[in-house]
Amino acid sequence: MKQKVERDQILGHEDEADGIKEYDNPLPDWWLGLFWITVIWGVAYLVHYHFIAHRSPEAALAQELADAEIRWATPEAAEAEAELVLSAEAVAEGEGIFRTYCVACHGANMMGGIGPNLLDDEWLHGGTSENIVKTITDGVPAMGMVPWGPVLGAEQVNRVAAYVVSKNAEALGRDPSDALRPSEGS
Amino acid sequence: MMQDRYADPQTTNWPDLVNPMEYTNPTTVDESVYDDDVVRMFFGATVIWGVVGMLVGVTIALQLAWWPANLGLPWTTFGRLRPLHTNAVIFAFAGNICFTGIYYSMQRLLKTRMWSDRLSRIHFWGWQAIIVAAAITLPLGLTQSKEYAELIWPIDIAIVVIWVIFAVNFFGTLATRKVKHIYVAIWFYISFVITIAVLHVVNSLAIPATLFRSYPVYSGMTDALVQWWYGHNAVGFFLTTPFLGLMYYFLPRAAERPVYSYRLSIVHFWSLVFLYIWTGPHHLLYSGLPDWAQTLGVVFSVMLLAPSWGGMLNGLLTLRGAWHRVRTDPVLKFFVVAVSFYGMSTFEGPMMAIRAVNSLAHFTNWVIGHVHSGALGWVGMMTFGTLYWLVPRLWKRELVYPNMATTHFWLATIGIVLYTVSMWAAGLIEGLMWRAVNERGLLASPAFMDIADRLDPFYGLRLLGGLLYFIGAVMMAWNIYRTVAASRAGAPTPSAATAAS
Repeated sequence: MKQKVERDQILGHEDEADGIKEYDNPLPDWWLGLFWITVIWGVAYLVHYHFIAHRSPEAALAQELADAEIRWATPEAAEAEAELVLSAEAVAEGEGIFRTYCVACHGANMMGGIGPNLLDDEWLHGGTSENIVKTITDGVPAMGMVPWGPVLGAEQVNRVAAYVVSKNAEALGRDPSDALRPSEGS
Repeated sequence: MMQDRYADPQTTNWPDLVNPMEYTNPTTVDESVYDDDVVRMFFGATVIWGVVGMLVGVTIALQLAWWPANLGLPWTTFGRLRPLHTNAVIFAFAGNICFTGIYYSMQRLLKTRMWSDRLSRIHFWGWQAIIVAAAITLPLGLTQSKEYAELIWPIDIAIVVIWVIFAVNFFGTLATRKVKHIYVAIWFYISFVITIAVLHVVNSLAIPATLFRSYPVYSGMTDALVQWWYGHNAVGFFLTTPFLGLMYYFLPRAAERPVYSYRLSIVHFWSLVFLYIWTGPHHLLYSGLPDWAQTLGVVFSVMLLAPSWGGMLNGLLTLRGAWHRVRTDPVLKFFVVAVSFYGMSTFEGPMMAIRAVNSLAHFTNWVIGHVHSGALGWVGMMTFGTLYWLVPRLWKRELVYPNMATTHFWLATIGIVLYTVSMWAAGLIEGLMWRAVNERGLLASPAFMDIADRLDPFYGLRLLGGLLYFIGAVMMAWNIYRTVAASRAGAPTPSAATAAS
């Protein structure tokens, strides 16, 4: 029973609206349609999210982690490659990484700032290459150092550790390969 | 050349080049029953605080593009000036234009003087004192650290007192009105007066510890939810509904066309105020807030799209038959762009509230772009249009530099476009860089500075956009100042002489 709607009919209470006239035009169909679509979508989304798909942020995170596990599983070979070598290339690569991620706390001259000095003979968490790699990988959250392992990956951690070891040895006038020996008197 | 155009009324396209006497509305018996002094006071405060608030905005935009601009002083660092900027533009600039428009239009719509001149003045001076108190405490670092509700408890109490005084005066005027019908603009004003009172009181509940410090009564997630229930409805009921009220009065008056649809205004008013109040949780997606509450925030935000567009439609369709005047009338130009940006940002908002989009957009500059397309586009342009329309009616004098208003319009419009586009780009870039991973599944840009460096050009572009917008506002202030001065000096309107001949 669609009634013919009169368009542009003045309502006639402009005397009570400071002379502003008002039409009583019908709601635009597409506008009303849009309104109903959003309402229906809203109900459908709510029901689907909570009662059909049983979604939640926790479920989404678990799914993403499972996907990542499959997609980026670290091959054994790559793990094996990640070891500390003191080659010129490795040290040069390590320097680039240090400049990007480490200078903010340890200083461009490696003499420390927010984080400790790396050129002296004081090692808070052990001075062997093994200890240094572990410190970089796991961080020292209690002192504000974040774990860099998940960020850089084992290979880059080893490169930057090589850079630190070689610069430290240089500053102290030692042979950098000393640090490669398993810990004895650190 | 420009100067000549400004001086020659024959070539200016300023509308209503008529005798100022004709500004009196024919349906009103006697304009002198109205209290326009308080309107002029709020008008002046709007212009002054607008320039101040935007200057602080440009300053902090400069600080993001070039850090030495923070001057190395605690009082002038970004963290303290940013809340000063937001408080100044929202509560001082936008607040004062709402009061300007309400005091001007409600007296005329209800055919009665404000209920109490004394309360009007207490409202005016109290509100300005609150703003001054904010401008002193925020740079000193005195804050309760709730976004858009930073002011410390003594100022919060002053806000309540002044707001209640305003409300008493407002409802007193409504009760003593000389007409039966309550025009749509007044409904929107009512939603502003009531809802802001409720939001402010509930969100600011705190137990004072010292004169400057207090502890909120809420903690943890409850505090966050109350804060964003307040925060989003500050957008809804401080920056949206009173401005829709201004639109419903000033746009049809300026266009001299009937409002498109009374029916649409009823439906979109009730759907808007009903849906808005539930949308706050969309600020807390992927947080510790219970899932069902997050979903409510998403769903109500999406359903808010059509009610918001109802306001835009009623504004734009009211201009049917007046579009040829948009080409020449700067007031209508400002209104058209304002309503268009209202439609644009109320489309963008529901989209950003969808979980998948939010996970990309949240915490990025996209949010800054979104809020400024609403603030500069909708709120700012509505304000400028209203101010320009009011000048000849409040001071019985045409603008001294009518074409400068058109220049202001173009500067502001270009400024908004630069601002929003640069922030969209910056937001998408940082959002994508945050989640990008390399072929080994590690973060592609783990260093904060890698991403921050990429945003530099966009911060520069945003500064330029904000600067253009600010320059336009300064031009408006100068134009209005000169016009008021000329009016007080009794200089005749050049256009009046032209029209009379």
